[in-house]
Amino acid sequence: MAKAFKYGAHGITGTLHSAERKLLRELFGDVITMLEERALVHQLPDDVDPLYALTGMRPESMDLPPVTDPALSKLLPDASDDPVVAAEHRRLTEADLIAQKIGRLREAQFLMETDKIVLEKENGQRFAQALNDVRLVLAERLEIRDEQDAERVSEVLDAAEVETPEEYLALVYNLVSWVQDTLMSALMEAEY
Amino acid sequence: MTAMPDVLPEIETAATYEKPWRLIVWNDPVNLMSYVAYVFRSYFGFTAEKAEQLMLQVHHDGFCNVRTGSREAIESDVQAMHGFGLNATMTQEA
Repeated sequence: MAKAFKYGAHGITGTLHSAERKLLRELFGDVITMLEERALVHQLPDDVDPLYALTGMRPESMDLPPVTDPALSKLLPDASDDPVVAAEHRRLTEADLIAQKIGRLREAQFLMETDKIVLEKENGQRFAQALNDVRLVLAERLEIRDEQDAERVSEVLDAAEVETPEEYLALVYNLVSWVQDTLMSALMEAEY
Repeated sequence: MTAMPDVLPEIETAATYEKPWRLIVWNDPVNLMSYVAYVFRSYFGFTAEKAEQLMLQVHHDGFCNVRTGSREAIESDVQAMHGFGLNATMTQEA
């Protein structure tokens, strides 16, 4: 079983066992795949001025298609209720946001190489962000829409009693939530 | 040496006052309270008390107007909040 993250003389430390690390590595990978698929729609047609590709900008006339997968829309939400503001914000910032998220998720995958995980403030924060992205996606798959749903899912704690794939997913969600929550306490202690 | 002219040419200024924008963070059943408080503290530099108070406001009221500023400032806040996985939007004051 995993050991909670703690802040001490050696920085922020926690332990995850091999099955947990394998599982987390796969989950980070799943989210990376979702983001990479979305990154494909950012590719500009060949006849567009190559300066756009060089600067990472997107022509004003080329708004991005809306995000239709509800899990992906949790990772890349609309920036405004005003569709014009939201579309502009997406056009200007989404590619960056995807790249940042993928970078943090890859870094998190690398952290899954050893049982003992030792973090500093900066990479600890990035690891928390990656865990949070995983939880956003899992929560969508578990249809957590309100506090009652969250309550229902949080009751699934005993691996021996898990019978359905949904219960297994709930168990995984609770593990990731627990890891993130202990990391937040350790980070708070480390930073303040 | 160069003497400065006594009278500087008058520069016509046309000030436009754009109404400020608001950064709103919405409640969701996924993000941990400890995480939201941490993000408010770490990103905005709020005190522990203020971060906690805003986090609870999001939790109980469903949303919170975290801060107000120029469009550019709020745009970059929204992007940062999305980086943290918080559901944030921007809206211009009426």
